[in-house]
Amino acid sequence: MAMNDPAHASWKRYVPLILAAIVILVPLAVPSRYILRTLVNIFFFAALGCAWNIIGGYAGQLSLGHSAFVAMGAYPTALLLLNLNIPPWIGFIPGVVLALIAAYLLGHLVFGLRGPYLALSTLAFAEIVHILLLHFRDQTGGSLGVTIPFGGTSVWKLQFASEQPYYYICLGLLGFCLYVTHRIHNSRMGYYLQAIKENQDAAENLGINLSGNKVKALMISAALTALMGGFYVAYFYYIDPDSVAGSDLSIKILLVAIVGGVGTVWGPVVGACILVALTEISNYLFGSGRAGVSLVIYAIILVIVVLFSPRGLIALLPKGSRSYRSE
Amino acid sequence: MREASCPPHVSFCNPGRARNSCRGRSGRAGGEVRVGRKGEIYTTTLIQSIVNGLMMGGVYALIAVGLTLIFGVMNVVNFAHGEFVMLGMVLTYLLHHYLGWDPGLSILLVIPIMLGVGALIQKTLISSVIGQADEAQILLTLGLSVLLTNAVLLIMGPDYLSVKTPYKLSVVALGPVLFSVPRLIAFFVGLVFSGILWLFLNRTNLGKALRAVAEKPEVATIMGINPKRMHWLAFGIGISLAAGAGSVLTPFFYTFPSVGGMFVLIAFVVVVLGGMGNIPGAILGALVIGITESLTAQFVALDLAMLGVFILFVLVLVFKPAGILGKGKLY
Amino acid sequence: MRAQRLWMVIGIFGLAVALVSPALAAEDVQIALFAMLSGPGAAMGKMSRDGAEMAAEDINASGGIKALGGAKIKLVVADVTSNAAQGPSVTERTLSTGTISAAVGYGASQMTLTSLPVIEKSQVPLVTSSISDKITQQGYKYVFEICPKGSQFGATQVYFLTYLRKKYSLPIKQVGFVYENTAYGTSTAEGLKETAVKEGYKIGLFEAYDAKFTDASPLVTKIKASGVDVIFPVSYTTDAELIISTMQAMRVNSLVIGGGAGFIWPDIYKSLGDKINGVFSVGSWSWDSKNIMSDPQRRSVVERYKKKFGTFMPEQAGEHYAMVWTLKDAMEKARSTDPKKIRDTLASIEITRGLAAIMQPGKIKFDKTGWNLYVHPTIIQWQQGEPRTVYPEEDATHDVVWPVK
Repeated sequence: MAMNDPAHASWKRYVPLILAAIVILVPLAVPSRYILRTLVNIFFFAALGCAWNIIGGYAGQLSLGHSAFVAMGAYPTALLLLNLNIPPWIGFIPGVVLALIAAYLLGHLVFGLRGPYLALSTLAFAEIVHILLLHFRDQTGGSLGVTIPFGGTSVWKLQFASEQPYYYICLGLLGFCLYVTHRIHNSRMGYYLQAIKENQDAAENLGINLSGNKVKALMISAALTALMGGFYVAYFYYIDPDSVAGSDLSIKILLVAIVGGVGTVWGPVVGACILVALTEISNYLFGSGRAGVSLVIYAIILVIVVLFSPRGLIALLPKGSRSYRSE
Repeated sequence: MREASCPPHVSFCNPGRARNSCRGRSGRAGGEVRVGRKGEIYTTTLIQSIVNGLMMGGVYALIAVGLTLIFGVMNVVNFAHGEFVMLGMVLTYLLHHYLGWDPGLSILLVIPIMLGVGALIQKTLISSVIGQADEAQILLTLGLSVLLTNAVLLIMGPDYLSVKTPYKLSVVALGPVLFSVPRLIAFFVGLVFSGILWLFLNRTNLGKALRAVAEKPEVATIMGINPKRMHWLAFGIGISLAAGAGSVLTPFFYTFPSVGGMFVLIAFVVVVLGGMGNIPGAILGALVIGITESLTAQFVALDLAMLGVFILFVLVLVFKPAGILGKGKLY
Repeated sequence: MRAQRLWMVIGIFGLAVALVSPALAAEDVQIALFAMLSGPGAAMGKMSRDGAEMAAEDINASGGIKALGGAKIKLVVADVTSNAAQGPSVTERTLSTGTISAAVGYGASQMTLTSLPVIEKSQVPLVTSSISDKITQQGYKYVFEICPKGSQFGATQVYFLTYLRKKYSLPIKQVGFVYENTAYGTSTAEGLKETAVKEGYKIGLFEAYDAKFTDASPLVTKIKASGVDVIFPVSYTTDAELIISTMQAMRVNSLVIGGGAGFIWPDIYKSLGDKINGVFSVGSWSWDSKNIMSDPQRRSVVERYKKKFGTFMPEQAGEHYAMVWTLKDAMEKARSTDPKKIRDTLASIEITRGLAAIMQPGKIKFDKTGWNLYVHPTIIQWQQGEPRTVYPEEDATHDVVWPVK
């Protein structure tokens, strides 16, 4: 972006600010709880996609089991809230710590593997967590899950009758994830990860510490994911192994990043917008008709997206010179 | 043993009474609920458990060899593989329901049909992601998976469909060990077809051409082999074998749109365990996984069966990262 | 230009949001049906839908809601998929039009639990057929549970065993429990164990299993090895079928008292045919309980269902039929379509006549927590290819049949 370019009109400099203002003001202008809820969903999945992106997109280590980290964030938050009345904004901390430790151990265990072997081992990891959560039902509630009663608005407990507070909280969390991604993107670690993604052996020959960087990326990714797991508890009021440690969630997270565009800062946001909107629209238009129609449409569109734009939808947007690292 | 007060269809055994055996309805020896000394039960259970696992392993093998073939030749991880098992089940059900065909017969038609379907899908869809980044592949095959599951839901509805064969509940007894007939058939069919695939790859020219494309695509092209043709052949064979596995599952498993999901994870574990692209590895891996699943369920806890599988999986990967038979491509 | 790209991103975002704003014109009285129409729960969702739609048709055919000038019921159907995180969004969207007076749904308990906060915040009353005890333990005012609670199922199964034992002098010493490891199985299993201990049975087996198993042999082998006289399996569909067929194949002849769901849905008869006869199961609703068979109008409901769908009316369909009629009765009494008024009426209503009373034992009244305090589970036995109510005696219309050799 040439700052000397005469075509670069001065008003364009204010565009990001205007957009930011719109996003911040939406909840005050739009009363519909449903629209706000949809937006929260977009932010939520965008944040998860960002977190995944760090290890899956930038480092190229495709994780098929990220829901395990969501569960690691969600369960401590929920159990502490339910049993000890510890609010989610404190309760998430043990979850993040747990995720960091797990990521460290997992990374050292599996990052010697490549490609599908690696991906499958992350899947196995998530399934192990899922099975253990189900099995130790005395501690986790097992398949009965953990239900947080909604007792009316309480700022302490992060429970609100209206959607606006959730909107801002989730937007804030998304902003934080984007910030972290942005920092990585522009840092030396970001360069190293990209190098590892393109050619691991060459990167190693250049002296890049494969294991160190990958594990670091996974730990950051896991911590952010667990953070969102804590939000999940505050927003959905009910968790069980299937919903927070299941493969459906893992797949949705990686789809968000892939559809949007891996290895980019804004890719997951685009992906989340598209996937959430697509789910809602197809459910709305076809959900009351014959069973299966809405998902067939959803799937057809996904397939079209990949055929059309294999590098993610963000590639369809005009390229910014600083938004793509590798080409 | 108070038979006089037992309702006719039920027999109760009191384990406290040593060496007592009640007779079931048929009264035949093979059908006894034998309760003897503890050691006897243990060994019988162990053997029975291994047998159960082996039989299921045969089915897993058939699903897995197709998946590993596809990966070996095309480097594509087919997340929709389970749905092709489901399609095979649906086709078999339809042939049974409308034409009265036994699944054993249906498989001979299902496989060729699915071969064509697979080739078609490969040509139109999969070919566009070959050589692309892994993410594109994942997206496509996942999308395909959702598409197939829900298309079937749309057309056939969500009901759980059954293929009722006369041998559904038949059992063959070898001493105290029981073999369920439909599962035994599935086991043999699974192994036989997996074996046929192996022979095909090693003894026929076409098979060797496939292996050539798998191992050294550039060289194969120079040698005059058309890789694109090999791709659709591989994909077609791969998913038709999965469909065939579906066929033999129908006598003892419900057919419904989401059934694919119950097999795909294990198929992946088997494939990775055996070494991706390695056919004998997949077959061996399938049998090992089947036995592990069964033994864990039997002797650890029923709901931890898959845990045993995954732990084995992780251990193998840690100590032998290329799979139990090492990194091989289709041999 | 980075700014331009951002602009585009937000533009997509805005477009996406704008497209999902639904617009719905309202004339009839709208009742939302939240059902799992896709995903693994689709079979259950379809049965629910069939029952609810039949109720809406019957209500409209018989003159609609008379207190509102014959207003017709419009069922607004929403697919909550089988994904618990998706449910609240679908709920929110459906209720956001502001035209929904009341709702019925969701089927599986986890779907109901995630959407309850939305229901409560939207202040639209929900009548549900989900069984989890937690539903009525949250202190919510807008949920009404018409069916028995999970903890009751297990107790009923064990009391039934005691009834059988005494009536037919059965020499039963040991009982076994196996249950699938989702919410349904787990909540039922606890009730089973407690009651069994209270009734003095020795427990030879108590184990959870993975609902998605592909082979029941380990489970059945355990049943066989434990030597239990009676087995109480709590299963969904594939597992129920596999357990029964494997037990028969392996000649394990323990008495089976199933835990509902897969054991009483039509598909298991389609799979096992006459081999299912003799098997017992608990259920939350039976098509031939006394309160239905003794009333010609109610009887005609189940008969018409059979004619229309080709099979006996399964519990999901029957419950949803009853739930829609319950709402109709509430709207008649409240003389209003206002959700809050309907909710208040539901809290105090007592239904003893009409088609809502197909819910056994023929009366409905919701207690302070929202639970129908008269309802209790029934026990059926498969006879001649259909489940027949054999217990408790106030609901039974058939005797227990011991299959002939």
